[in-house]
Amino acid sequence: MSAKYRLEITKGEEVRYVSHLDYMRSIERAVRRSKLPAAYSEGFNPHMKIAFASALSVGVASEAEYMDIELTHELDPAAMGEALARHLPPGIAVRRLRPVSARHAALMAVVNLAAYRISLPLPAAAAGPAREAVSRFNAAAAVPYIKENPKGKREIDVKTYVSEVSATATADGMELALAVRITPTGSIKPAEVLKVLVDNFALPADPDAALVTRTGLFVADGTSRISPLDI
Amino acid sequence: MIKIPPAVLSRVAKPARYTGHEQNCVVKDSSRVDAAFALAFPDVYEVGMSHLGLKILYHIINRRSDAAAERVYAPWPDMEAEMRAAGIPLHTMESFRPVAEFDVVGFTLQYELSYTNILNMLDLAGIPLKSADRGEQHPLVIAGGPCAFNAEPLADFIDFFVLGESEEAVDDVAAAVADWKRAGKPGGRRGFLARAAAIPGVYVPAFYDAAYNADGTLAAVTANHPAAAPVVTKRIVADLEHAPYPTKPVLPYLEIVHDRIMLELFRGCTRGCRFCQAGVLYRPVRERKPETLLRLAQELVDSTGYSEISLTSLSSADYSCLKDTVGLLIDRFKDQGVSVSLPSLRIDSFSIELAQEVQKVRKSGLTFAPEAGTQRLRDVINKGVTEKDLEEAVGAAFRAGWSGVKLYFMIGLPTETDDDIRGIAALAYRVLDIYREVKGKRGARVSVSVSSFVPKPHTPFQWYGQDAVAELERKQQLLKSLFKDRSISFSWHDAHVSFLEAVFARGDRRLGEVLLAAWRRGAKFDGWSEYFKFTVWQDAFNETGVDPHFYAGRERTADEVLPWDHLSAGVDKSFLEREYRQALAADPTPDCRRGDCRVCGVCQGLGVDIIDWGTSS
Repeated sequence: MSAKYRLEITKGEEVRYVSHLDYMRSIERAVRRSKLPAAYSEGFNPHMKIAFASALSVGVASEAEYMDIELTHELDPAAMGEALARHLPPGIAVRRLRPVSARHAALMAVVNLAAYRISLPLPAAAAGPAREAVSRFNAAAAVPYIKENPKGKREIDVKTYVSEVSATATADGMELALAVRITPTGSIKPAEVLKVLVDNFALPADPDAALVTRTGLFVADGTSRISPLDI
Repeated sequence: MIKIPPAVLSRVAKPARYTGHEQNCVVKDSSRVDAAFALAFPDVYEVGMSHLGLKILYHIINRRSDAAAERVYAPWPDMEAEMRAAGIPLHTMESFRPVAEFDVVGFTLQYELSYTNILNMLDLAGIPLKSADRGEQHPLVIAGGPCAFNAEPLADFIDFFVLGESEEAVDDVAAAVADWKRAGKPGGRRGFLARAAAIPGVYVPAFYDAAYNADGTLAAVTANHPAAAPVVTKRIVADLEHAPYPTKPVLPYLEIVHDRIMLELFRGCTRGCRFCQAGVLYRPVRERKPETLLRLAQELVDSTGYSEISLTSLSSADYSCLKDTVGLLIDRFKDQGVSVSLPSLRIDSFSIELAQEVQKVRKSGLTFAPEAGTQRLRDVINKGVTEKDLEEAVGAAFRAGWSGVKLYFMIGLPTETDDDIRGIAALAYRVLDIYREVKGKRGARVSVSVSSFVPKPHTPFQWYGQDAVAELERKQQLLKSLFKDRSISFSWHDAHVSFLEAVFARGDRRLGEVLLAAWRRGAKFDGWSEYFKFTVWQDAFNETGVDPHFYAGRERTADEVLPWDHLSAGVDKSFLEREYRQALAADPTPDCRRGDCRVCGVCQGLGVDIIDWGTSS
C-alpha cells in the first residue's frame, strides 16, 4: 500500500544559487541515497513521485518549502526524517514531516500566499529615503508594472499581489517583508517587486545586492494563514 | 577566504558554478598539510566536473594525510569580467583560497583548444605565466593528460608534466613535494624540479634545449641537466583491479555534461585505428572483473544517488564480460530506479541486443562511427568494420524499434578521394533504404556528423599533412550538395578549429609565443564556437612570425625529429611507421588482444600484460 508524506524543508544559504530544477534533483538523489522506498511512475522513463508547492528563483533561499513524496509502503515518519536528514546536502534540512492521505489536494493547488524577506545593504544616509519609498508604495492605490516573459509582455497591477511592504532597519541596511498572493492567473516575484520599488518609487538600493529569502508558504483565507503541513 | 558578493552572483549566468558546498567534496585545512594541490580544469565547471581523471586524482591526493586537493575551473567570461572588476583572484571551490597560495597547481590537458584558458587561469590567479618568471613564493605549475604527450607548445608555461596514467605518479609527486617542503625547500624551485625529474614519467621542459635546422625543422631536443632522462616514458597502472577508484565523487548541484555514475570497465583499446591517439596512449587493454565493477557500482550508487550508471571506456562493447556485467548491474539496481547506459557502441548486432536490454526509452537515437565512407578508406584507417556490419547493426536497430541513427565520419583522412566523400552520402542513403526494407515504409531519421581529421602525435598518421582549410571546406560543400533527402541531416565542424588543433597537436616550443600573443588578444574558450575567433589567431601568427602551415599541413619525413620524440607512450616509432606504410597500402592490422602480437612495444617495453577476463574464464 503506497503512502504519501508531506515535508517542510529549507533551502539555505549554501544552496541559495541552485535553481529549482537542480534543487529538486538534489533532493531526489538524497532520497535514493537514503534508501527510502520511493515510488516511481510507470512507463519507459520512470520518475520519482515527488511534487513541490512552488518554484523558487535562482538566488532565493527559503525557510519553509513543501514537498510531497510517495513511498511504496508506510514508514515511521521520525525514522524517515532521520534517514533523509543523513543524506541531504548542506543547506537542505527537513523541518517537519507527516503522512498525508492520498486524497489530499496537491500542494500546487492549495498554496496561495508566499511570504518573503528582502535584505538590502544600504548606506546610512539612504535609510530615510528608503523608508519614504516604501511608504509611497504602500499608499499607492495601484502600481502598474509591465511583466515580461518569453511569451510576451503584459501589464499587471503589483497591488493585486502585494498590498503592503514593511521595512525594518538592520545593522547594514534594511529588511523588507512582504506577502505575495499566488493566484490561478499568476503572481509576481519578489525581485520584480524590488525592481518596481527601485524604478517607480526611487528606493535607493542595488537590486543585485539584495538577498531574498522565502519565509513561508501558506494556504490563506481572509483571516488566517495555515501552513500546508497543517491542513 | 574569498567571499563572492551576492551582487556578483546575481549578475552571472549559472551562479551555482561558483558557490561550492557540493556533497562529497573534501574540505581540509590546506594550510596544515605539506602538499596543497589546486586541481585545475581549463574549461567551465560543467565540463570539468564531468572528467573522470580529475576525480581520480582528487581521490588519491585527499586520502593522503599530508596532502590536500581542491578543485578550480575556468570561470565563464561573464564571471571572469566580474572577478577582474572586483579584484577577486582565481580560487578553489573547497576552501575559497586563492590558487596562488597553493603549493601545486595542476592542469589537465584534454584538448589543444583549452591552452589559452590555462594562461587565462594563471593570469587570474596572479601567477606569472612563464615558468622562468616564477619566484620561490609561487606554486609549482604542473600538467598531465593526453596533450602532455606533446608538451612542447606549453613548455614555457608548465614547470613539469606527468606522462601517462597518474594513479601511482601523483602519489610520487605529492610525496616529493611534501618531503621537499619538510626539508626546508632545499635548492628552491630548481632543487625541487631536479627531484621531480627523477620520478618516472615526469618531464621538466626547462631541463631540455631545443635546436633547429636551417629549414625550421627540429634538429634535436637534448637534456641539459643531469637529472633529465633522454626519453621520458609514460606511467601505467599494471593492475587496474587494485587501482584506487573514486567511489565518492563530488556531486554537483548544477547539471553537468556527464551527470551520471561513470563506471570505467577497462582501460586501453587494441583495435588499432590509425588516427586514434587514445588507442596508443592507453595501451594495452586492462579489464576490471565484473565482481569488482559491481562492488564499485554499489558504492557509487550509495554515495551519489544518481539514477544512471554509464559504462565507460574507449570502446565499451569490447569489454569481454559485457553481457554478464550489464545483466548483473540491471538486476542489482532496477528496483532503485537506477538505469544502465552504454555510451559507445561498436557496429554489430550484439551491441544492438545489449542496447535493447539497457535502454528502456526507444526515442533516443543510436550512434555509430564508421568514420569513413568506403571500405578502402576504412581499411586505410584500420577501422575494422565493413558495410555489412553496418547494415546488420542498423537493420537490427530498426527491427528493435529505433528509427533514428547518428553516423560519425571524418574527412581529410590520408589517401581520401572525392569517391570516399561520396561514399559517406551513399552510406547515409543506404541506411534509409534499410529502414524501408525492414519496415516497409519511410520514416528513418539519419543524422550525419562530419569532423575533420587532425593528425595526432604518437599515431601512425603523425607524419601526415592535414588537408588545407579550403580543401576541407570544399569536401564539406561537396558532401552537403549530395544530401537532398530531408530525412538526412548533415552537420560538420569548423575547419579552422581542426586546423588550429593540428597546429598545436604537432607543434614545438616556438608556439609558446603564439599562444601568449593570442591570449593577449583575447583568445579564450577556443573550444566554444561562440568564443572561437580565427582572426585573433591569424593576428597572433602574424605578430610572432610563426607559420601555422609548417605544423598543420606539412607532410613530415620518417627521418625528421619530431617535437615529441623524447616523450614516449611505450609504442615504438618503428611500429607507427610500419602502420603508416600499411595504411597507404590499405592493409589492415588485426586487434592484438587475442593473440597475434604485432610488437608495438608497449607490453614488452613497459612490462605490462593485456588483461582480458573473457579469455581466462
